[in-house]
Amino acid sequence: MNAAGGAAGDTAGRSAPASADRPTRIAHLDRDRPLVEAAQHDPLQFDALYRRYLAQVYSFAFYELGDHHEAEDVTERTFLAALGNIDRFEERARPADGEGASTFRVWLFQIARNAVAHQRRGRRRHPQAPLEAAALVADPLDIEGGATIRDEASAAWQAVGRLPADRRRALVLRFVEEMSTAEIAGVLGRSEGAVRVLIHRALRTVARDLGTRHGRQTPDPADGRR
Amino acid sequence: MTLDRDAAAGEALLTDLYLDALLAGVVLDAAVGGIPGDLAGRLDPAARRASERLRHDLVRVHPSFRFEERLATRLAAAAVAMRMPVAAGDGRVVAFRPGTPTELDPGLVPPDAGALASNPASSPNPELARSREPRGSDADQAHRTANRPLLIGGALTSAALSLAGAAFVAWRLGRPGRATTPMARAARAVRDGRLAASIGSSARLADRASARSLD
Repeated sequence: MNAAGGAAGDTAGRSAPASADRPTRIAHLDRDRPLVEAAQHDPLQFDALYRRYLAQVYSFAFYELGDHHEAEDVTERTFLAALGNIDRFEERARPADGEGASTFRVWLFQIARNAVAHQRRGRRRHPQAPLEAAALVADPLDIEGGATIRDEASAAWQAVGRLPADRRRALVLRFVEEMSTAEIAGVLGRSEGAVRVLIHRALRTVARDLGTRHGRQTPDPADGRR
Repeated sequence: MTLDRDAAAGEALLTDLYLDALLAGVVLDAAVGGIPGDLAGRLDPAARRASERLRHDLVRVHPSFRFEERLATRLAAAAVAMRMPVAAGDGRVVAFRPGTPTELDPGLVPPDAGALASNPASSPNPELARSREPRGSDADQAHRTANRPLLIGGALTSAALSLAGAAFVAWRLGRPGRATTPMARAARAVRDGRLAASIGSSARLADRASARSLD
């Protein structure tokens, strides 16, 4: 979704001088700008933003916490906080963020990340791998094939669940939410380069994990260097 | 050491470009005009397989419809509550004089100011920011620090309504008109009768007095 726009925007941002056309491009950058302005003028219009990002925020919370009820709590807290502070939100987009980027989405996920941390502090235990959700992926009518798919999906989910928190979070934002590297950097509060390395290492770890499970040990040359 | 770090950053950039293309749905086959062969070929095959598998397996999870509608209702109620002060006269609270709201009027400080301060995407209230600016040290300093919130719009509306009400009552007292209720008619009849009786008795007293003076 946004990855295409992010990629295109990154390329354009590197090849062209960013300062020359900055005011014009910023004016058209955030695709959520009309909805955000409408919500700032009339809070009842926030519903459109809520419908657009509900599944994304819920997914993020669910992958982080591995529990539907806790994900619902985090989702509710996130949107209520966003609505309560919508008049304080200001767009801080850069041309390098890409045409499809949304600073509102980054802001919303920053709230969600804080809500997840709050939820985690409350329960005081480590998140479990979201095995329950793997059953949702499979076709319920195809029992045999569904079992195979469930096994494979479960393996992938478990491999992601075993990652350190920052790597897992970056992978989820990249693959599930389809965020660009710039957006993930905004959510996690890191540089784009750091996010790229984070995702690269996470992918190598997952590849090694999945290869081990299937009896195909993949050597990781990077491990020898570090 | 630096070369290793540069190589890792280069590989990470390559992976990033590959993921951009993969998630955008670009055909991952150079033979049919998809991703350039050198990009796909230079990527670690295991990482590439893992990317494709994660793209397939890491799906977005939707909440239940019941939860979605329940939260939508709650957000709508919160939005209506946020609109209430605006609807009542389009009023808003502003700082009457520049001062330090945290010292004298903590109510002006948003309750989540601490959390929002750590949020780079949120912006503080510009009026509060202005009121926190350093001020001069003149003799009127003590008066300046008296920071009073002033409700503009709502107060004006309230005052206008009060004036209109007082004017209406005065008009009604001056021009009562013809009341239509039976109780009002009865009360008016009694009052008119008493008034006529008092006028008649005073006229009789005046006649007696004039007669005595003539005698």
